[in-house]
Amino acid sequence: MSFISLVLIAGLFGFLVLQSVPILAEQKWDFLLGRDWWAGEVYGALPMIYGSCMVTGVASLLVLPLALGGAIFTSEFLSAKQRLWVKAMMELFAGITGIIYGLLGVALMAGWVKDSFGLIDGNTILTAGLLLGIMILPTILTLAEDALHAVPGCYRDTSLSLGLTKLQMIKSAVIPQALPGIAGAIFLGLGRAMGETIAVMLVIGGLDKIADPWYDLFAPAQSIASKLGREAAEAIGSGLQWSALMALGLVLFFMVMFLTMVGNLFLKRVR
Amino acid sequence: MSQSDPLEKFVRGLLGVLTLLAITLLVVIFGIVFWKGAPVIDWEFLTQASSNFGASGGILYQLAGTVILMAGAVAVSLPVALGTALFQTEYLKSDRLKKLFRNLIYSLNGMPTILFGLVGYMIFGVYLKAGVSWLTGTLILAVMILPTLQVSFQQAVEALPEKYRDAGMALGLSPTAMVYSVIIPQSVFGIITGVLLGLARAAGETAAIMFTATTFSGILLPQTWTDPVPTLQTHILVLAQEALNPQAVAHAWGAGLVLLSLTFILVAGALFCRSKMQMESER
Repeated sequence: MSFISLVLIAGLFGFLVLQSVPILAEQKWDFLLGRDWWAGEVYGALPMIYGSCMVTGVASLLVLPLALGGAIFTSEFLSAKQRLWVKAMMELFAGITGIIYGLLGVALMAGWVKDSFGLIDGNTILTAGLLLGIMILPTILTLAEDALHAVPGCYRDTSLSLGLTKLQMIKSAVIPQALPGIAGAIFLGLGRAMGETIAVMLVIGGLDKIADPWYDLFAPAQSIASKLGREAAEAIGSGLQWSALMALGLVLFFMVMFLTMVGNLFLKRVR
Repeated sequence: MSQSDPLEKFVRGLLGVLTLLAITLLVVIFGIVFWKGAPVIDWEFLTQASSNFGASGGILYQLAGTVILMAGAVAVSLPVALGTALFQTEYLKSDRLKKLFRNLIYSLNGMPTILFGLVGYMIFGVYLKAGVSWLTGTLILAVMILPTLQVSFQQAVEALPEKYRDAGMALGLSPTAMVYSVIIPQSVFGIITGVLLGLARAAGETAAIMFTATTFSGILLPQTWTDPVPTLQTHILVLAQEALNPQAVAHAWGAGLVLLSLTFILVAGALFCRSKMQMESER
Protein backbone atom coordinates (compact mmCIF):
# COMPACT_ATOMS: atom_id res chain seq x y z
CA MET A 1 0.00 0.00 0.00
CA SER A 2 2.90 2.34 0.63
CA PHE A 3 3.72 2.10 -2.98
CA ILE A 4 0.78 4.36 -3.63
CA SER A 5 2.95 7.42 -3.01
CA LEU A 6 5.45 6.07 -5.52
CA VAL A 7 2.67 5.35 -8.00
CA LEU A 8 1.22 8.82 -7.54
CA ILE A 9 4.51 10.67 -8.06
CA ALA A 10 5.50 8.45 -10.97
CA GLY A 11 2.01 8.76 -12.44
CA LEU A 12 2.04 12.53 -12.17
CA PHE A 13 5.46 12.73 -13.75
CA GLY A 14 4.74 10.13 -16.44
CA PHE A 15 1.52 11.82 -17.41
CA LEU A 16 3.11 15.22 -17.73
CA VAL A 17 5.91 13.78 -19.85
CA LEU A 18 3.52 11.84 -22.05
CA GLN A 19 1.24 14.77 -22.65
CA SER A 20 4.04 17.20 -23.38
CA VAL A 21 5.52 15.00 -26.13
CA PRO A 22 3.57 16.68 -28.99
CA ILE A 23 4.77 20.18 -28.22
CA LEU A 24 8.34 19.11 -27.49
CA ALA A 25 8.45 17.15 -30.73
CA GLU A 26 7.14 20.16 -32.61
CA GLN A 27 9.27 22.89 -31.08
CA LYS A 28 12.14 21.06 -29.36
CA TRP A 29 14.37 23.43 -27.37
CA ASP A 30 12.53 26.45 -28.73
CA PHE A 31 9.81 25.61 -26.28
CA LEU A 32 12.08 26.23 -23.31
CA LEU A 33 13.98 29.14 -24.80
CA GLY A 34 11.22 30.84 -26.77
CA ARG A 35 10.16 34.28 -25.58
CA ASP A 36 6.74 34.40 -27.23
CA TRP A 37 3.54 32.57 -26.41
CA TRP A 38 0.74 33.03 -28.90
CA ALA A 39 -1.91 30.36 -28.45
CA GLY A 40 -2.35 28.57 -31.77
CA GLU A 41 0.99 29.70 -33.23
CA VAL A 42 4.05 29.52 -31.05
CA TYR A 43 4.68 28.44 -27.49
CA GLY A 44 7.69 29.77 -25.60
CA ALA A 45 8.09 29.01 -21.90
CA LEU A 46 10.87 31.42 -20.98
CA PRO A 47 8.70 34.36 -19.83
CA MET A 48 6.81 32.05 -17.45
CA ILE A 49 9.98 30.47 -16.09
CA TYR A 50 11.35 33.96 -15.55
CA GLY A 51 8.10 35.05 -13.87
CA SER A 52 8.12 32.08 -11.47
CA CYS A 53 11.72 32.77 -10.48
CA MET A 54 11.11 36.50 -10.03
CA VAL A 55 8.06 36.22 -7.78
CA THR A 56 9.72 33.51 -5.71
CA GLY A 57 12.86 35.66 -5.42
CA VAL A 58 10.93 38.76 -4.33
CA ALA A 59 8.96 36.67 -1.83
CA SER A 60 12.14 35.26 -0.33
CA LEU A 61 13.71 38.72 0.03
CA LEU A 62 10.67 39.86 1.99
CA VAL A 63 10.13 36.74 4.05
CA LEU A 64 13.65 35.70 5.08
CA PRO A 65 14.50 38.51 7.52
CA LEU A 66 11.06 38.30 9.14
CA ALA A 67 10.87 34.52 9.30
CA LEU A 68 14.45 33.92 10.46
CA GLY A 69 14.52 36.84 12.90
CA GLY A 70 11.18 35.66 14.23
CA ALA A 71 12.38 32.07 14.52
CA ILE A 72 15.55 32.99 16.43
CA PHE A 73 13.70 35.32 18.79
CA THR A 74 10.90 32.82 19.42
CA SER A 75 13.24 29.92 20.07
CA GLU A 76 15.94 31.70 22.08
CA PHE A 77 14.37 34.65 23.86
CA LEU A 78 10.75 33.83 24.55
CA SER A 79 9.50 31.86 27.54
CA ALA A 80 8.07 28.38 26.97
CA LYS A 81 4.53 29.66 27.24
CA GLN A 82 5.04 32.64 24.91
CA ARG A 83 6.74 30.34 22.46
CA LEU A 84 3.74 28.00 22.33
CA TRP A 85 1.50 30.98 21.67
CA VAL A 86 3.61 32.15 18.75
CA LYS A 87 3.77 28.60 17.36
CA ALA A 88 0.02 28.08 17.60
CA MET A 89 -0.57 31.41 15.91
CA MET A 90 1.79 30.57 13.06
CA GLU A 91 0.11 27.22 12.50
CA LEU A 92 -3.26 28.94 12.36
CA PHE A 93 -2.00 31.55 9.92
CA ALA A 94 -0.38 28.87 7.78
CA GLY A 95 -3.95 27.67 7.24
CA ILE A 96 -4.98 30.88 5.43
CA THR A 97 -5.38 29.75 1.86
CA GLY A 98 -4.33 31.14 -1.48
CA ILE A 99 -7.76 32.42 -2.44
CA ILE A 100 -7.92 34.65 0.67
CA TYR A 101 -4.55 36.16 -0.25
CA GLY A 102 -5.77 36.52 -3.80
CA LEU A 103 -8.81 38.46 -2.61
CA LEU A 104 -6.60 40.70 -0.45
CA GLY A 105 -4.32 41.20 -3.42
CA VAL A 106 -7.00 42.13 -5.92
CA ALA A 107 -9.15 44.21 -3.63
CA LEU A 108 -6.45 46.02 -1.67
CA MET A 109 -2.80 45.36 -2.27
CA ALA A 110 -2.75 46.01 -6.02
CA GLY A 111 -4.27 49.40 -5.28
CA TRP A 112 -1.72 50.16 -2.57
CA VAL A 113 1.20 49.23 -4.81
CA LYS A 114 -0.26 51.35 -7.59
CA ASP A 115 -0.73 54.41 -5.39
CA SER A 116 2.53 54.17 -3.43
CA PHE A 117 4.71 53.85 -6.51
CA GLY A 118 2.64 55.98 -8.87
CA LEU A 119 2.00 53.19 -11.36
CA ILE A 120 -0.68 52.89 -14.01
CA ASP A 121 -1.50 49.35 -12.94
CA GLY A 122 -0.94 47.70 -9.58
CA ASN A 123 -0.71 44.17 -10.95
CA THR A 124 3.04 43.63 -10.91
CA ILE A 125 5.80 41.19 -10.03
CA LEU A 126 6.26 43.14 -6.79
CA THR A 127 2.61 42.75 -5.78
CA ALA A 128 2.67 39.02 -6.40
CA GLY A 129 6.00 38.65 -4.60
CA LEU A 130 4.81 40.59 -1.55
CA LEU A 131 1.67 38.51 -1.34
CA LEU A 132 3.61 35.25 -1.64
CA GLY A 133 6.12 36.41 0.96
CA ILE A 134 3.38 36.98 3.53
CA MET A 135 1.80 33.69 2.55
CA ILE A 136 4.86 31.52 3.22
CA LEU A 137 5.98 33.49 6.29
CA PRO A 138 4.23 31.35 8.94
CA THR A 139 5.41 28.08 7.37
CA ILE A 140 9.08 29.08 7.21
CA LEU A 141 9.00 30.73 10.63
CA THR A 142 7.57 27.73 12.43
CA LEU A 143 9.75 25.13 10.64
CA ALA A 144 12.94 27.16 11.16
CA GLU A 145 11.98 27.62 14.79
CA ASP A 146 11.57 23.85 15.14
CA ALA A 147 15.12 23.41 13.86
CA LEU A 148 16.54 25.97 16.31
CA HIS A 149 14.57 24.59 19.21
CA ALA A 150 15.75 21.05 18.48
CA VAL A 151 19.39 21.96 19.19
CA PRO A 152 20.19 20.06 22.41
CA GLY A 153 20.56 22.09 25.59
CA CYS A 154 24.07 20.79 26.22
CA TYR A 155 25.42 22.91 23.37
CA ARG A 156 23.90 25.96 24.97
CA ASP A 157 25.17 25.08 28.45
CA THR A 158 28.67 24.40 27.18
CA SER A 159 28.90 27.71 25.31
CA LEU A 160 27.57 29.67 28.26
CA SER A 161 29.97 27.96 30.65
CA LEU A 162 32.81 28.93 28.32
CA GLY A 163 31.85 32.53 29.01
CA LEU A 164 30.15 33.27 25.71
CA THR A 165 27.39 35.85 25.77
CA LYS A 166 23.93 34.72 24.75
CA LEU A 167 24.32 36.30 21.34
CA GLN A 168 27.69 34.63 20.76
CA MET A 169 26.16 31.34 21.85
CA ILE A 170 23.34 31.68 19.33
CA LYS A 171 25.73 32.69 16.59
CA SER A 172 28.42 30.09 17.12
CA ALA A 173 26.61 27.13 18.70
CA VAL A 174 22.88 27.17 18.01
CA ILE A 175 22.63 28.50 14.46
CA PRO A 176 25.38 26.27 12.97
CA GLN A 177 23.70 23.23 14.50
CA ALA A 178 20.29 24.25 13.22
CA LEU A 179 21.44 25.44 9.80
CA PRO A 180 20.41 22.36 7.80
CA GLY A 181 16.93 22.50 9.31
CA ILE A 182 16.65 26.21 8.64
CA ALA A 183 17.75 25.75 5.03
CA GLY A 184 15.25 22.91 4.66
CA ALA A 185 12.47 25.17 5.94
CA ILE A 186 13.42 27.91 3.48
CA PHE A 187 13.52 25.59 0.47
CA LEU A 188 10.18 24.00 1.32
CA GLY A 189 8.64 27.44 1.71
CA LEU A 190 10.06 28.62 -1.60
CA GLY A 191 8.73 25.48 -3.31
CA ARG A 192 5.30 26.34 -1.99
CA ALA A 193 5.62 29.92 -3.23
CA MET A 194 6.66 28.77 -6.67
CA GLY A 195 3.66 26.47 -7.03
CA GLU A 196 1.02 28.87 -5.71
CA THR A 197 -1.52 29.54 -8.41
CA ILE A 198 -4.54 31.50 -7.29
CA ALA A 199 -2.98 34.34 -5.31
CA VAL A 200 -0.38 34.98 -8.02
CA MET A 201 -2.82 34.60 -10.89
CA LEU A 202 -4.99 37.40 -9.56
CA VAL A 203 -2.29 40.03 -9.08
CA ILE A 204 0.62 39.35 -11.43
CA GLY A 205 -0.90 41.07 -14.46
CA GLY A 206 -0.90 38.06 -16.75
CA LEU A 207 1.51 39.35 -19.39
CA ASP A 208 3.67 36.63 -20.98
CA LYS A 209 6.73 38.84 -21.33
CA ILE A 210 10.11 39.28 -19.76
CA ALA A 211 10.23 42.78 -18.29
CA ASP A 212 12.67 45.25 -19.76
CA PRO A 213 15.01 45.57 -17.91
CA TRP A 214 14.54 42.12 -16.43
CA TYR A 215 14.82 43.37 -12.83
CA ASP A 216 11.92 45.80 -13.24
CA LEU A 217 9.66 44.72 -10.39
CA PHE A 218 6.90 47.12 -11.39
CA ALA A 219 6.20 45.30 -14.63
CA PRO A 220 3.38 42.82 -15.12
CA ALA A 221 4.48 39.24 -15.80
CA GLN A 222 3.25 35.66 -15.69
CA SER A 223 4.38 32.70 -13.59
CA ILE A 224 4.09 29.09 -14.74
CA ALA A 225 1.41 28.35 -12.17
CA SER A 226 -0.62 31.45 -13.03
CA LYS A 227 -0.39 30.62 -16.74
CA LEU A 228 -1.70 27.13 -16.05
CA GLY A 229 -4.48 28.53 -13.90
CA ARG A 230 -5.55 31.01 -16.53
CA GLU A 231 -5.43 28.84 -19.62
CA ALA A 232 -6.21 25.33 -18.40
CA ALA A 233 -9.95 25.82 -18.63
CA GLU A 234 -9.95 27.08 -22.22
CA ALA A 235 -7.48 24.52 -23.61
CA ILE A 236 -8.77 21.63 -21.59
CA GLY A 237 -7.92 18.13 -22.69
CA SER A 238 -6.67 18.34 -26.24
CA GLY A 239 -4.64 20.16 -28.84
CA LEU A 240 -1.19 21.62 -29.02
CA GLN A 241 -2.02 24.36 -26.51
CA TRP A 242 -2.94 21.73 -23.93
CA SER A 243 0.27 19.90 -24.65
CA ALA A 244 2.20 23.15 -24.22
CA LEU A 245 0.50 23.72 -20.87
CA MET A 246 1.37 20.21 -19.76
CA ALA A 247 4.98 20.82 -20.75
CA LEU A 248 4.90 24.00 -18.66
CA GLY A 249 3.55 21.85 -15.84
CA LEU A 250 6.49 19.50 -16.33
CA VAL A 251 8.92 22.41 -16.04
CA LEU A 252 7.18 23.48 -12.83
CA PHE A 253 7.35 19.89 -11.58
CA PHE A 254 11.13 19.88 -12.06
CA MET A 255 11.63 23.30 -10.49
CA VAL A 256 9.56 22.51 -7.41
CA MET A 257 10.97 18.99 -7.16
CA PHE A 258 14.46 20.49 -7.16
CA LEU A 259 13.60 22.85 -4.30
CA THR A 260 11.86 20.08 -2.35
CA MET A 261 14.73 17.66 -2.85
CA VAL A 262 17.31 20.20 -1.71
CA GLY A 263 15.07 20.99 1.25
CA ASN A 264 14.68 17.31 2.16
CA LEU A 265 18.40 16.75 1.85
CA PHE A 266 19.00 19.41 4.47
CA LEU A 267 16.12 18.31 6.67
CA LYS A 268 17.30 14.72 6.61
CA ARG A 269 20.60 15.73 8.13
CA VAL A 270 18.73 17.14 11.10
CA ARG A 271 16.73 14.06 11.92
CA MET B 1 27.60 42.00 32.00
CA SER B 2 26.44 40.51 28.71
CA GLN B 3 23.04 42.13 28.99
CA SER B 4 24.49 45.62 29.08
CA ASP B 5 26.61 45.20 25.96
CA PRO B 6 25.08 47.66 23.46
CA LEU B 7 25.48 45.28 20.51
CA GLU B 8 23.70 42.49 22.38
CA LYS B 9 20.90 44.85 23.23
CA PHE B 10 20.62 46.08 19.69
CA VAL B 11 20.47 42.62 18.08
CA ARG B 12 18.04 41.38 20.65
CA GLY B 13 15.84 44.41 20.04
CA LEU B 14 16.08 43.96 16.28
CA LEU B 15 15.03 40.31 16.49
CA GLY B 16 12.16 41.29 18.75
CA VAL B 17 11.01 43.94 16.29
CA LEU B 18 11.15 41.45 13.39
CA THR B 19 9.09 38.94 15.36
CA LEU B 20 6.57 41.57 16.28
CA LEU B 21 6.40 42.69 12.66
CA ALA B 22 5.78 39.14 11.44
CA ILE B 23 2.99 38.60 13.95
CA THR B 24 1.48 42.02 13.30
CA LEU B 25 1.46 41.44 9.55
CA LEU B 26 -0.53 38.24 9.93
CA VAL B 27 -2.87 39.64 12.54
CA VAL B 28 -3.52 42.61 10.25
CA ILE B 29 -4.36 40.21 7.39
CA PHE B 30 -6.88 38.43 9.58
CA GLY B 31 -8.17 41.77 10.84
CA ILE B 32 -8.78 43.03 7.30
CA VAL B 33 -10.72 39.93 6.29
CA PHE B 34 -12.76 40.14 9.48
CA TRP B 35 -13.41 43.86 9.16
CA LYS B 36 -14.42 43.61 5.51
CA GLY B 37 -16.34 40.36 5.79
CA ALA B 38 -18.19 40.69 9.09
CA PRO B 39 -20.71 43.36 7.97
CA VAL B 40 -21.91 41.08 5.16
CA ILE B 41 -22.45 38.01 7.29
CA ASP B 42 -25.81 37.44 8.88
CA TRP B 43 -28.20 34.53 9.13
CA GLU B 44 -29.61 35.14 5.64
CA PHE B 45 -26.12 35.18 4.12
CA LEU B 46 -25.46 31.71 5.50
CA THR B 47 -28.85 30.20 4.72
CA GLN B 48 -29.87 31.58 1.33
CA ALA B 49 -28.92 30.72 -2.21
CA SER B 50 -26.89 33.34 -4.04
CA SER B 51 -28.66 35.49 -6.60
CA ASN B 52 -27.84 38.22 -9.07
CA PHE B 53 -24.53 36.49 -9.96
CA GLY B 54 -23.40 36.43 -6.37
CA ALA B 55 -23.92 40.13 -5.72
CA SER B 56 -26.90 39.46 -3.50
CA GLY B 57 -28.39 36.57 -1.57
CA GLY B 58 -26.20 34.18 0.37
CA ILE B 59 -23.71 31.37 0.08
CA LEU B 60 -25.61 28.33 1.34
CA TYR B 61 -24.95 26.10 -1.67
CA GLN B 62 -21.36 27.27 -2.08
CA LEU B 63 -20.76 26.26 1.52
CA ALA B 64 -22.46 22.93 0.87
CA GLY B 65 -20.28 22.33 -2.19
CA THR B 66 -17.09 23.03 -0.26
CA VAL B 67 -18.21 20.66 2.50
CA ILE B 68 -19.11 17.93 -0.02
CA LEU B 69 -15.70 18.15 -1.66
CA MET B 70 -13.68 18.20 1.54
CA ALA B 71 -15.67 15.48 3.27
CA GLY B 72 -15.53 13.29 0.16
CA ALA B 73 -11.80 13.81 -0.17
CA VAL B 74 -11.15 12.77 3.43
CA ALA B 75 -13.49 9.78 3.13
CA VAL B 76 -11.48 8.50 0.15
CA SER B 77 -8.08 9.43 1.52
CA LEU B 78 -8.52 8.20 5.10
CA PRO B 79 -8.39 4.42 4.56
CA VAL B 80 -5.50 4.72 2.11
CA ALA B 81 -3.49 7.01 4.40
CA LEU B 82 -4.16 4.83 7.43
CA GLY B 83 -3.15 1.70 5.55
CA THR B 84 0.03 3.29 4.24
CA ALA B 85 1.00 4.67 7.64
CA LEU B 86 0.41 1.35 9.39
CA PHE B 87 2.26 -0.59 6.74
CA GLN B 88 5.25 1.66 7.14
CA THR B 89 5.30 1.59 10.93
CA GLU B 90 4.24 -1.99 11.62
CA TYR B 91 5.26 -4.16 8.70
CA LEU B 92 8.03 -2.44 6.78
CA LYS B 93 11.40 -3.30 8.29
CA SER B 94 13.90 -1.95 5.76
CA ASP B 95 15.21 1.47 6.80
CA ARG B 96 16.16 2.36 3.26
CA LEU B 97 12.65 1.75 1.97
CA LYS B 98 11.24 3.73 4.88
CA LYS B 99 13.49 6.63 3.96
CA LEU B 100 12.49 6.39 0.30
CA PHE B 101 8.78 6.43 1.12
CA ARG B 102 9.27 9.32 3.50
CA ASN B 103 11.01 11.34 0.81
CA LEU B 104 8.31 10.48 -1.69
CA ILE B 105 5.52 11.55 0.58
CA TYR B 106 7.26 14.85 1.33
CA SER B 107 7.75 15.45 -2.38
CA LEU B 108 4.09 14.72 -2.98
CA ASN B 109 3.25 17.18 -0.22
CA GLY B 110 5.29 19.90 -1.92
CA MET B 111 3.78 19.42 -5.37
CA PRO B 112 1.95 22.47 -6.74
CA THR B 113 -1.76 21.78 -6.43
CA ILE B 114 -2.47 22.98 -9.96
CA LEU B 115 -0.56 19.95 -11.27
CA PHE B 116 -2.91 17.65 -9.38
CA GLY B 117 -5.73 19.53 -11.07
CA LEU B 118 -4.31 19.14 -14.58
CA VAL B 119 -3.30 15.50 -14.36
CA GLY B 120 -6.25 14.56 -12.16
CA TYR B 121 -8.64 15.99 -14.70
CA MET B 122 -7.10 13.92 -17.49
CA ILE B 123 -7.25 10.72 -15.43
CA PHE B 124 -10.54 11.03 -13.54
CA GLY B 125 -12.33 13.46 -15.80
CA VAL B 126 -11.36 12.24 -19.27
CA TYR B 127 -10.25 8.61 -18.98
CA LEU B 128 -12.66 7.61 -16.25
CA LYS B 129 -15.29 9.82 -17.88
CA ALA B 130 -16.28 11.69 -14.73
CA GLY B 131 -15.98 15.01 -16.57
CA VAL B 132 -16.06 18.30 -14.71
CA SER B 133 -17.79 17.04 -11.62
CA TRP B 134 -17.75 16.89 -7.84
CA LEU B 135 -16.53 13.30 -8.16
CA THR B 136 -13.45 14.38 -10.12
CA GLY B 137 -12.83 17.16 -7.60
CA THR B 138 -13.19 14.81 -4.66
CA LEU B 139 -10.71 12.33 -6.10
CA ILE B 140 -8.19 15.05 -6.96
CA LEU B 141 -8.43 16.52 -3.47
CA ALA B 142 -8.14 13.04 -1.97
CA VAL B 143 -4.79 12.57 -3.69
CA MET B 144 -3.73 16.07 -2.72
CA ILE B 145 -4.36 15.65 1.01
CA LEU B 146 -2.97 12.11 1.22
CA PRO B 147 0.47 13.27 2.46
CA THR B 148 -1.12 15.50 5.14
CA LEU B 149 -3.11 12.59 6.52
CA GLN B 150 -0.39 10.00 6.21
CA VAL B 151 2.33 12.08 7.87
CA SER B 152 0.01 12.88 10.79
CA PHE B 153 -0.99 9.24 11.24
CA GLN B 154 2.56 8.03 11.02
CA GLN B 155 3.80 10.54 13.57
CA ALA B 156 1.01 9.51 15.92
CA VAL B 157 1.82 5.81 15.65
CA GLU B 158 5.54 6.40 16.00
CA ALA B 159 4.94 8.47 19.13
CA LEU B 160 3.15 5.61 20.92
CA PRO B 161 4.97 4.61 24.12
CA GLU B 162 6.91 1.37 23.73
CA LYS B 163 5.19 -0.15 26.75
CA TYR B 164 1.87 -0.43 24.89
CA ARG B 165 3.49 -2.58 22.27
CA ASP B 166 5.34 -4.58 24.91
CA ALA B 167 2.09 -5.24 26.74
CA GLY B 168 0.40 -6.29 23.50
CA MET B 169 3.24 -8.64 22.63
CA ALA B 170 3.29 -10.08 26.14
CA LEU B 171 -0.37 -10.99 25.62
CA GLY B 172 0.66 -12.82 22.47
CA LEU B 173 -1.19 -10.56 20.01
CA SER B 174 -0.52 -11.12 16.31
CA PRO B 175 0.60 -8.03 14.37
CA THR B 176 -2.92 -7.62 12.97
CA ALA B 177 -4.59 -7.95 16.36
CA MET B 178 -2.03 -5.49 17.68
CA VAL B 179 -3.01 -2.94 15.03
CA TYR B 180 -6.72 -3.27 15.71
CA SER B 181 -6.73 -3.46 19.48
CA VAL B 182 -3.68 -1.42 20.45
CA ILE B 183 -2.26 0.83 17.75
CA ILE B 184 -5.42 2.34 16.25
CA PRO B 185 -7.31 2.94 19.52
CA GLN B 186 -4.24 4.45 21.16
CA SER B 187 -3.41 6.81 18.31
CA VAL B 188 -6.94 8.09 17.83
CA PHE B 189 -6.02 11.69 18.64
CA GLY B 190 -3.31 11.60 15.99
CA ILE B 191 -5.81 10.26 13.47
CA ILE B 192 -8.27 13.03 14.30
CA THR B 193 -5.45 15.60 14.00
CA GLY B 194 -4.64 14.34 10.51
CA VAL B 195 -8.27 14.31 9.45
CA LEU B 196 -8.81 17.89 10.62
CA LEU B 197 -5.66 19.14 8.88
CA GLY B 198 -6.69 17.31 5.72
CA LEU B 199 -10.15 18.86 5.85
CA ALA B 200 -8.60 22.30 6.31
CA ARG B 201 -6.31 21.81 3.34
CA ALA B 202 -9.10 20.57 1.10
CA ALA B 203 -11.42 23.37 2.22
CA GLY B 204 -9.08 26.08 1.06
CA GLU B 205 -7.92 24.54 -2.18
CA THR B 206 -8.93 26.42 -5.29
CA ALA B 207 -6.43 25.84 -8.10
CA ALA B 208 -6.96 22.08 -8.31
CA ILE B 209 -10.76 22.26 -8.50
CA MET B 210 -11.55 25.49 -10.31
CA PHE B 211 -11.63 23.93 -13.76
CA THR B 212 -12.24 20.32 -12.78
CA ALA B 213 -15.11 20.26 -10.31
CA THR B 214 -16.94 23.52 -9.99
CA THR B 215 -19.56 25.71 -11.56
CA PHE B 216 -20.45 29.28 -10.79
CA SER B 217 -24.15 29.03 -11.33
CA GLY B 218 -26.86 26.71 -12.62
CA ILE B 219 -26.44 23.89 -10.14
CA LEU B 220 -27.23 24.06 -6.45
CA LEU B 221 -26.69 20.56 -5.16
CA PRO B 222 -25.28 17.73 -7.29
CA GLN B 223 -27.98 15.28 -8.41
CA THR B 224 -25.74 12.78 -10.17
CA TRP B 225 -22.15 11.58 -9.87
CA THR B 226 -21.06 13.82 -12.69
CA ASP B 227 -22.56 17.17 -11.69
CA PRO B 228 -20.22 20.03 -10.85
CA VAL B 229 -20.83 21.97 -7.64
CA PRO B 230 -20.53 25.61 -6.66
CA THR B 231 -17.89 26.13 -3.96
CA LEU B 232 -16.89 28.96 -1.64
CA GLN B 233 -13.39 29.10 -3.08
CA THR B 234 -14.41 29.52 -6.70
CA HIS B 235 -17.25 31.83 -5.66
CA ILE B 236 -14.68 34.17 -4.11
CA LEU B 237 -12.46 33.80 -7.16
CA VAL B 238 -15.20 34.98 -9.51
CA LEU B 239 -16.54 37.75 -7.28
CA ALA B 240 -13.06 39.09 -6.48
CA GLN B 241 -12.58 39.91 -10.13
CA GLU B 242 -15.77 41.98 -10.33
CA ALA B 243 -13.89 45.13 -9.38
CA LEU B 244 -16.61 47.41 -10.78
CA ASN B 245 -19.35 45.92 -8.65
CA PRO B 246 -18.79 46.83 -4.97
CA GLN B 247 -21.69 44.63 -3.93
CA ALA B 248 -20.03 41.57 -5.48
CA VAL B 249 -16.68 42.38 -3.87
CA ALA B 250 -18.41 42.81 -0.51
CA HIS B 251 -19.91 39.35 -0.90
CA ALA B 252 -16.48 38.00 -1.78
CA TRP B 253 -15.18 39.29 1.57
CA GLY B 254 -18.14 37.72 3.36
CA ALA B 255 -17.50 34.37 1.71
CA GLY B 256 -13.78 34.82 2.45
CA LEU B 257 -14.43 35.31 6.15
CA VAL B 258 -16.64 32.21 6.25
CA LEU B 259 -13.93 30.15 4.52
CA LEU B 260 -11.24 31.56 6.79
CA SER B 261 -13.29 30.80 9.90
CA LEU B 262 -13.87 27.27 8.66
CA THR B 263 -10.14 26.60 8.19
CA PHE B 264 -9.24 28.31 11.49
CA ILE B 265 -11.70 26.12 13.39
CA LEU B 266 -10.34 22.98 11.73
CA VAL B 267 -6.70 23.89 12.34
CA ALA B 268 -7.41 24.97 15.93
CA GLY B 269 -9.12 21.62 16.48
CA ALA B 270 -6.09 19.86 15.05
CA LEU B 271 -3.74 21.79 17.34
CA PHE B 272 -5.88 20.87 20.33
CA CYS B 273 -5.91 17.18 19.39
CA ARG B 274 -2.18 17.19 18.84
CA SER B 275 -1.56 18.62 22.30
CA LYS B 276 -3.77 15.83 23.69
CA MET B 277 -1.72 13.32 21.76
CA GLN B 278 1.53 14.67 23.16
CA MET B 279 0.20 14.49 26.71
CA GLU B 280 -0.85 10.92 26.05
CA SER B 281 2.59 9.88 24.82
CA GLU B 282 4.33 11.51 27.78
CA ARG B 283 2.40 9.46 30.29
